[in-house]
Amino acid sequence: MKKLLVLLFSLVIALSVTACKPEEKTLVIFQNKVEIDTVLRDYATAWGAKNNVKVEVKTCGGDTCAYGTQILAEFQANKQPDIFVIEGMGGYNIYKDKILDLTGEPWVSNTDLEFMVSGKVYGFPVAVEGWGMAYNKELLVAAGVDIDALKVVSQAEYAAVFEQVKNYFAANNMPNHAVVSMAAASGMHWVTGLHNFNGYLSAGLAYNDSNVITKLNNGEVDAARLAQLADWAELLFKYADKSILTTGTYDDQVGKFAKGEAAFLHQGNWTDSSYKDSKFTMGYLPHATMAENNDSIFIGAPSYYVINKDTNMSAEAKLFLSDLAATNEGHDYMVNKANMVPAFNSVTLKPKTPLSAAVMEWNQAGKAYAWWQNDMPADFGMGTLGPIYELFAKGEITKAQFITNVTAAIDAVK
Amino acid sequence: MIEKILRRLILVIVTIFVILILPFHSLVRWFKRKSRDNAPIVSDQSKKGFITRYIDDFWLGNSGRAQNNRVFVFFLLPSLGAFLLFVIYPFVHGLFLSLTNWTGLNTGNESFIGFENYRIIFSDVRFIFSFAQTILYSLMNILAINVVAFLLALLVTQKLRLENIYRAGFFMPNLIGGLVLGYIWQFVFNRALVSLGGVFANSWLASGSTALFGLIVVVTWQYAGYIMMIYIAAIQNIPLDLVEASKIDGATAIQRLKLITLPMIAQAFTVAMFLTLVTSFKQFDTVMSLTQGGPATTLPTWIGAFYGLADMPVVQSTNLIAINIYQEAFSRYQMGVGQAKAIVFFGFLLVVSLLQVYYNKRREIEL
Repeated sequence: MKKLLVLLFSLVIALSVTACKPEEKTLVIFQNKVEIDTVLRDYATAWGAKNNVKVEVKTCGGDTCAYGTQILAEFQANKQPDIFVIEGMGGYNIYKDKILDLTGEPWVSNTDLEFMVSGKVYGFPVAVEGWGMAYNKELLVAAGVDIDALKVVSQAEYAAVFEQVKNYFAANNMPNHAVVSMAAASGMHWVTGLHNFNGYLSAGLAYNDSNVITKLNNGEVDAARLAQLADWAELLFKYADKSILTTGTYDDQVGKFAKGEAAFLHQGNWTDSSYKDSKFTMGYLPHATMAENNDSIFIGAPSYYVINKDTNMSAEAKLFLSDLAATNEGHDYMVNKANMVPAFNSVTLKPKTPLSAAVMEWNQAGKAYAWWQNDMPADFGMGTLGPIYELFAKGEITKAQFITNVTAAIDAVK
Repeated sequence: MIEKILRRLILVIVTIFVILILPFHSLVRWFKRKSRDNAPIVSDQSKKGFITRYIDDFWLGNSGRAQNNRVFVFFLLPSLGAFLLFVIYPFVHGLFLSLTNWTGLNTGNESFIGFENYRIIFSDVRFIFSFAQTILYSLMNILAINVVAFLLALLVTQKLRLENIYRAGFFMPNLIGGLVLGYIWQFVFNRALVSLGGVFANSWLASGSTALFGLIVVVTWQYAGYIMMIYIAAIQNIPLDLVEASKIDGATAIQRLKLITLPMIAQAFTVAMFLTLVTSFKQFDTVMSLTQGGPATTLPTWIGAFYGLADMPVVQSTNLIAINIYQEAFSRYQMGVGQAKAIVFFGFLLVVSLLQVYYNKRREIEL
């Protein structure tokens, strides 16, 4: 009995001694881009060594890990990260009680894409991304299309170009070639329900004009814009590769374009990693969501780093973010290591990948339509609009039914 | 009669209560015993009501039976504790959450909103559609799996050469995880089968009217081998003398199947039906990877008509109830509504499976 007591006693002492050791500070970053996990980890370790902070990078994203679900679980389990990621207004509304006000941070003056709510800055733009109609220059030139004439484009012009390319394929016995590579099946609802539908929310409007998205969130429909969107979707579906459109996966869709078998691709610059073996020149042209005068591609910051209000590491977290935007190491990491397009004017490095360079070019020319798709109610784009697009793509509903269904879906928002 | 049932009911409740307080009671008793050495606790039986008498006789008194029962309870405590902590408590808490506006982030600040969540889900045509689709899927799936499994079991108990290899082969798909299986079959349906043409010319997974059948094919392929094992075990347990006697009496193979095999393996049917019923209703992983709930389709008019809708909304054809609950909770962050759906689903599944076991049990034979 006495021996046991002695043992217990020494155990207690040992434990309390370990507990009294000076605690090492750990900055926890919980982010959602699987593809930059390793490079971010390397950058963070180097930064941490320099600033005497231990940085832990946790990643959850892609097909195998649902970031939204996982971050919720981390918060519920009280394992709160210091820096985490939100995607626009939807994420802000969920986490607004947890997000630190970043107004006045040094990087804010170097960007137009910071995340703001009623005049206060909350989010650090992780990167700029953009999408439009990616084109294969060689195919278009061979088909006799004047690309520069399409920089300000109408639906009628696209209809003519699509027909011209289609005839070129037919005349030259290229049956494997598709005019447009686009996917609308389950699993690809983000291409239609979010990216294509964003045209309805922002095309032809000033970058900060939130009038249409505000109306949508109040359950009001802009019938004229919706009719033009439906025309555009119909045009795309008509010239899209049928099998990819109705059953294709991301790899099928992007692969078609990467192999040089599609003249146009309905995707963003994140597809750059698929073009290592592609031997053609590519660039972006605007979507013709509106009938006339489409002159910009959709550019925005898909996600923002935000700082947890309840952390005791807020000084370190702020420093981490401002160093990312201000130091050469930060720029090198963003542009060269992570292949991202930085949102900051202070960055002079140019992306090496073709579509990212194209996005940067459109952005510098000031030709950008905003991203409002993430400000729609949770799951509205992918869960509600995606299936409607899918049926329209398969020809199971008409254009009129497409419009009625989208109208009814928006009506139900309120 | 009613009084007797009522008394039984009261005693059951009392028993649960007694089991819960027993550890404390025993502790108190132990301390008392220490201070007042073994003063016998004498109780006057005649003056008490049936409840006190029951407690005294069965649990807390000095009779042999009561002492035995107390020992049993102490042996029961570890597993009882685990059961309370991991099953009963979460369930009761879930019931409570389904009556609140919990979103997952307002934890601690959620407010009680009564049956509002239940009103929401029953006025939601998409949920009703998911429910109807799940029932349809489960009926067809139970039938398909059991028929295939039973036929396979008959086949591999026919004294074939290499029968063990067949058994292992049929069982093998069950060892592949549902997610992997979904991705493999996605390829089979979208790429391999379409090149055969005919009924496969359009991928089954691309159309709302065929995707459910595609799903059934996949799940049957995966699960039939497992259920086959249950049937094999039962078939091997049929006494040979019965079979021989029937042969001598001149019974044909079909008569033997109908009059001997089927009744003798009724027990296996109970188990197999129960397993397939529960897994069909709870189907999640394979659907997630095979179709992600899609493809889209328009709501069947009979559901729309029931809700008085003129235009049928677009719904997801393989959005089975487990997927629907998951999306409600984790894509739309409506934890309370999702929880309410889960409770409704639980109640439904409980009733269906109890009925199934009851009816199947009646067909079983004791030798």
